[in-house]
Amino acid sequence: MSGRDDRNMRSDMSGVDAALRDQFDWYPVAKEFKDAIRSRGFLVLSVLFTVFFMLPPASVVFGFFDFGPQGQDIGMQFLISSVYLNMVTLLVPVVALFVGYAAITKERTSGSLKLLLSLPFSRRDVLVGKVVGRCVVAGVTLGFALALTALFFVASELTFKGDLFGLFVLYTMAFTVVFVAIVVSISGAFSTSFRSAIASFFVYFYFTFGWNSLANGIGDLLADYLGVTGSLRWNVVLLVKLVNPNQAYKTLTNSMLAEGSNAMRSSRFGMFSQNSTQMQEICTGVLNGNATVQRGLFGNTTVCGESARSIPFYVSDPAVFVYMVAWIGVAAALAYYTFNIVDL
Amino acid sequence: MAAIELDGVTKRFGDVTALEEVDLTVEEGEVFGFLGPNGAGKSTTINILLDFVRPTAGSASVLGVDTREESKAIRDRTGVLPEGYDVYERLTGREHLQFVVEAKDADDDPMDLLERVGLDAEAAARPAGGYSKGMTQRLVLAMALVDQPDLLILDEPSTGLDPNGARMMRELVREESERGATVFFSSHILGQVEAVCDTVGILQDGRLIAKDSVDELRDRTEGGTTLHVTLADSATDAALEAVTGLDVVSSVSADGDSLAINCESDAKMTILNAIEDAGAEVADFETTEASLEDLFATYTGGDR
Repeated sequence: MSGRDDRNMRSDMSGVDAALRDQFDWYPVAKEFKDAIRSRGFLVLSVLFTVFFMLPPASVVFGFFDFGPQGQDIGMQFLISSVYLNMVTLLVPVVALFVGYAAITKERTSGSLKLLLSLPFSRRDVLVGKVVGRCVVAGVTLGFALALTALFFVASELTFKGDLFGLFVLYTMAFTVVFVAIVVSISGAFSTSFRSAIASFFVYFYFTFGWNSLANGIGDLLADYLGVTGSLRWNVVLLVKLVNPNQAYKTLTNSMLAEGSNAMRSSRFGMFSQNSTQMQEICTGVLNGNATVQRGLFGNTTVCGESARSIPFYVSDPAVFVYMVAWIGVAAALAYYTFNIVDL
Repeated sequence: MAAIELDGVTKRFGDVTALEEVDLTVEEGEVFGFLGPNGAGKSTTINILLDFVRPTAGSASVLGVDTREESKAIRDRTGVLPEGYDVYERLTGREHLQFVVEAKDADDDPMDLLERVGLDAEAAARPAGGYSKGMTQRLVLAMALVDQPDLLILDEPSTGLDPNGARMMRELVREESERGATVFFSSHILGQVEAVCDTVGILQDGRLIAKDSVDELRDRTEGGTTLHVTLADSATDAALEAVTGLDVVSSVSADGDSLAINCESDAKMTILNAIEDAGAEVADFETTEASLEDLFATYTGGDR
């Protein structure tokens, strides 16, 4: 296609495109996509995603797993909760790290950033272009993998629940995009790819393994030193937990899988493991639920059931989803701040 | 309005002072040569003009716009050949050009521009990762020419170019200047700056030690390039006459059957041909070049 055809096509696109172009120059996105799609890494990434996601339903189709007549109905939920949940939270951030850790640092150290910034692009354009471009690359790849996964589910003897799978796709896409955005933003804030990779890995590690102790630590601090106890303390702890995209993704997916009017409450409640008194406090004081103690083989379990009051909006699924995707903006804004003040 | 204006610009990187109180004005339409040895601060100055680097003190404006305020507007009207750049190895030469054309919302034909810098259709269709240094430099030069910029900023443009490429580059600078563009051109090679520039600024250790017209510079560096010709016969007068008439020659002196010709650095063949055409036969020739160090010595009073 010649440059002239290109321009005609572009002038035909009106309204939205023009408005967007007022805000940002989108050309870095297009170039980024074109460039990334030709890299060998992209191919590896696509294969990796596709194989990992396809494997569970494929193994059912080919008869490695047999769920039996009773299992067929909830087989998809079972696989999502026992396989996909951990796979996504462990694998996706690692993939994001590979996709994005050098997104900006590589251009910075090689000097192609100089070429890019010699053109009428601001540093903000470049950062936004990188974040959006890499997110699109990861999103398209993941979308392809998930589509194939859906096909295998349909082909298997398991009951395919379209609405449920749709939500799973939405959450998984959002989680992936959030991590890619965070990693690319980190890349904008550091001068070398090595430092960027270290920082990204640290963030990943902390989100995955360290964040809960932070949340609980803040709770203890509030209780021990500031005298903040009861529901306020647990509200804070829950919110801090939910700010972690990793936990947000897990609790959203759990709530989706529970499929009932008490789904949100029980999945939020499942984020805690405190003693019985505290669990009751959390259920009634934070989640507006009805706490009951059930006696079981391994001691007492607190169950948080429905009550006349509904769960507060700020810990409901839509709010949690917003907290999760808000990371894209937060990360990009922080990265812009550091990227904008440095000498290149 | 000045095309480029630096006002007391100082830049420190930690303890190192890269630029010290630099005041500089480049008029519109001028071809300005920015001369200095490696490490003098030329690239730092250019990086400040492009807002890659922010001055520690002082201010800079390009095309009447402050570099810190409206850098994007500046780069919309400026063509840049930066130093220490890298191309996108997976994009072809043509795609590079297309990208710039789109970025600048221009209507240039990528192939026309590639042709101007001497890259053919075969090269244009190849990924730029496989280009030689000279081809890459040509590609980026073509990118700088997109959308007829009001200002061209070329940082050491002849790096990696062979003599043909260097000539092409000088030709382009002349063409762009005739079109009305201002050209800001940095180099550590005296001959290059001399060949195309109207005005020259000399930078040493982060200070602008001189700014002169190129004619004055030539006078002060009497013998910038000197071609010594020994004639095989004694047709000295004919040769002298032929050489004096050439516009690449600034002065000539004769001593018996040998001539000392002050000339532009790439004029050797022109002059030798003129001598042969005048009926004289050249027995031997040799060129000597005034070094940048000699030039600095002239300007700084011979301290070096």
